[in-house]
Amino acid sequence: MSASPGKAVRYAYLVACVAGVLFFVMSVGLLGVWPKQVIDAQTAAMSPAHPLGLSASALRGRAIYGREGCGYCHTQQIRYLHTDMSRFGAPTLAWETRFDYPHQWGTRRIGPDLSRVAGTRSADLHFAHLFAPRSVVAHSVMPAYRGLFDGAADRPRQGARDLLAYLETLGRAREIAGPEGEAHARAGCNCPDDEMLQMAFEGAVNAHSARTRREGDVPALPPSTDLERGRRLFGDHCVTCHGETGEGDGPGAAALRPKPGTLVEHAYTDARLAEVLWHGVAGTAMPAWRDHPPADLAAIAVAVKALRADRPEPALPAELQELGARVYAANCVQCHGEQGDGRGTAAAQLTMAPSSFRDQRPSLDHALRVLRNGVDGTPMAPWTGRLGAPEIMAVAHHVRSFYEGGTR
Amino acid sequence: MTDTVAARAVPRVETTLVHAHGIAALVTLLLSISFGIIAAFQLLYPDLGAGVSWLSWGRVRYSHTQGIMLGWLGNAFLAFLYHAVPILSGRPVTSVALGRWLFALWNFAVMLPGWVLVLSGVSQPLEWAEFPLVVDGFVVIALVMAAVQFLPPFFTRGLEYLYVSSWYIIGALVFTLLSYPMGNIAPEFVAGAAGAAFSGLWIHDAVGLFVTPLALAILYYVIPAVTRRPIYSHFLSMLGFWLLFFLYPLNGTHHYVFSVIPMSAQLTAITASALLGVTVVIVVANLVLSMRGAGFLPRDPGLRFVAASTWFYLIVSIQGSMQAQMAVNQTVHFTDWVVGHSHLAMLGFASFAAAGGLVHAWQRIPWARYNARAIDVGYWLVVAGLVLMVVDLTAAGLMQGRLWASGAPWSESVQASRPYWIVRAHGAALLLGAGFISFFVGLTTGARGGGLAAIEHGAGVEAAGHVASRLAPVLERVS
Repeated sequence: MSASPGKAVRYAYLVACVAGVLFFVMSVGLLGVWPKQVIDAQTAAMSPAHPLGLSASALRGRAIYGREGCGYCHTQQIRYLHTDMSRFGAPTLAWETRFDYPHQWGTRRIGPDLSRVAGTRSADLHFAHLFAPRSVVAHSVMPAYRGLFDGAADRPRQGARDLLAYLETLGRAREIAGPEGEAHARAGCNCPDDEMLQMAFEGAVNAHSARTRREGDVPALPPSTDLERGRRLFGDHCVTCHGETGEGDGPGAAALRPKPGTLVEHAYTDARLAEVLWHGVAGTAMPAWRDHPPADLAAIAVAVKALRADRPEPALPAELQELGARVYAANCVQCHGEQGDGRGTAAAQLTMAPSSFRDQRPSLDHALRVLRNGVDGTPMAPWTGRLGAPEIMAVAHHVRSFYEGGTR
Repeated sequence: MTDTVAARAVPRVETTLVHAHGIAALVTLLLSISFGIIAAFQLLYPDLGAGVSWLSWGRVRYSHTQGIMLGWLGNAFLAFLYHAVPILSGRPVTSVALGRWLFALWNFAVMLPGWVLVLSGVSQPLEWAEFPLVVDGFVVIALVMAAVQFLPPFFTRGLEYLYVSSWYIIGALVFTLLSYPMGNIAPEFVAGAAGAAFSGLWIHDAVGLFVTPLALAILYYVIPAVTRRPIYSHFLSMLGFWLLFFLYPLNGTHHYVFSVIPMSAQLTAITASALLGVTVVIVVANLVLSMRGAGFLPRDPGLRFVAASTWFYLIVSIQGSMQAQMAVNQTVHFTDWVVGHSHLAMLGFASFAAAGGLVHAWQRIPWARYNARAIDVGYWLVVAGLVLMVVDLTAAGLMQGRLWASGAPWSESVQASRPYWIVRAHGAALLLGAGFISFFVGLTTGARGGGLAAIEHGAGVEAAGHVASRLAPVLERVS
């Protein structure tokens, strides 16, 4: 054997030194290079042939996202766990991240995950939130990025538009790939026995709780009389836009087009309130509140109803009834429908659903205001140039007659 | 062997460079924790600094962690190396002129421009790699210079004479040179999920191959240097060293459990994490046995920091092994639990070790100011602040994980975090700030040479060189 113990020790250390470097090389190979091979192969097999890349604006937005450290509070990685999936949607697949240089997965969630945030918020809500987060989300701890705006939330600079363009790419590729894309990915994955990867194809791609839906089933809200709790929740989540009294004049309202609903001016059926709370109002800044327990939504509905100003309802003059029906049939049915249910022949073409008068009734004042001025940010145009004063008065009365909610 | 050692001439310790890096460490420490304190308060008062782009939360957060790792720990480690390498190797460092260049590069080509660029919006959004690529270039140059400065003295005699601290120093300098470019550059060229795999490697290599070995070099150095007894077991010290260097790099992927990164890579990392915990028990057992007789609260201030560091190392490693396991990870990942864990590691383990090494070296600079009382006060404030912060954030993390799993609205977890964040900011962060200010005062005020007087209290004052020569036998590798 060795000539001396010292020599043996020396050889042992030389072997260990080489092994140490090899272990480092092994770690990079085993946990870096080899996963990259697997991920590259998976991407090639599962990605749509020509996924949409990032526009110049979105690339600039990504740089802003990076420099402000957005990824240190918002992850971009939905884990293969049902708790993550039920909140944020389908888990992140490798091919969805193929344009991310560098990745923005993150390791801390103070705010929600943003992997599938595309299409969940309207542009005006994003801008209001970026400019003054607490003007729309009362308990947010997000910093205000006023430097991206020219002094007001509705005057975004290029930076804010770029950041929005980037946010609108998050999760987009997989959504626009559609069911065919999902089928292609599933076939390409060829992983029927991989329980974890199979989770990627469970349920909806975008289950984001704030995403608005134009229609769909709504679970009936449990009966509630808890006005006090409703008022507290309304204060927590709704006053930022709808205002303390429901006038639609909260701090976040200024930047929103269309303006938040004037709750004080409307009577709502229970079904309408449940629908709005569950689905949000597509085409507006009103998000869905599906992540809140139904009992809380019911309590909020009670509080919303209590906001309505209790004004004497003017009666419909008999001589105007026939005129109102005629004007409505000539001008309004295309969108609002013959039955006043918002399902006119043109309704499907519009970015937001026309009001259904059967489940929400405006006050006469509000109806007149809308007819005279239109609703900024919606397809509802002003009618003063086309209809005379008696006709406007008549049709304002007429739309109020569709309501099915009784006197409540 | 020991007779040959005793006969060796005591090499010159470049006290000017120890002192310069020590002061740089203290200044960058105060700046870095100021960023941390601002970030903690911004979560309570989010409009704090609104409209001032360089004070926005993300940029402050980047500056906090890069400052702690490169500014404070980097400088403190360099100060310790200038003190310890000549004593461990029996040879002076390569060049004083090189030392001046290294100091200038590290502080004025890495830290200063790094912070200025990050705060003005030029950065790299990757954890523990936030300084932009241009700064990374200077880091790599500085690491090469550090290797040239500190490695040659060790190789004048055979490997079998190397004490464990020397091994850790060599390991840290060599492996950081390998891992730093890998972690900082690869994710720029490797997209998405695969890039995240490389990022995960670096997050753990930064801790495991840069911070941990240098912190352990300090622990293994200061304990025998103060107790004047050889460590408990040289065999265990070597076993621990090699196991740590084999296992640390294999941990990276545990930052992305339940992700699309191949499950076998995740399981490898999770297994390595568990084994790492076992290894740390071996290392800590050896350290604690080496301290036997010194008590939980050694009188020597350097050793007191080192003892606390040893215990925090044990706790943070066992916690780390546990939170890498899937059952725990799925609840605590993404929560404040992890923020508590990283403070236990970077502050409890690494910063206490760095502070211990710095105090130890400082006491042995005959002309350095030294204020024992301020250091004592600083120690207790920092211990109190750290324990409060870790307990608070661990509880916060459990609460957040439970609320998220319950399906409660997201905003509820933000609202429920507020009391914990109040404790963190108004309690822990301010205690830590006060503690480190006191620590700063301890090393910048008081009588010149006061540290040396404190060491030899009751036994007369010895010259620094004499102190070093008496250390040589206990720091010698016995083979």
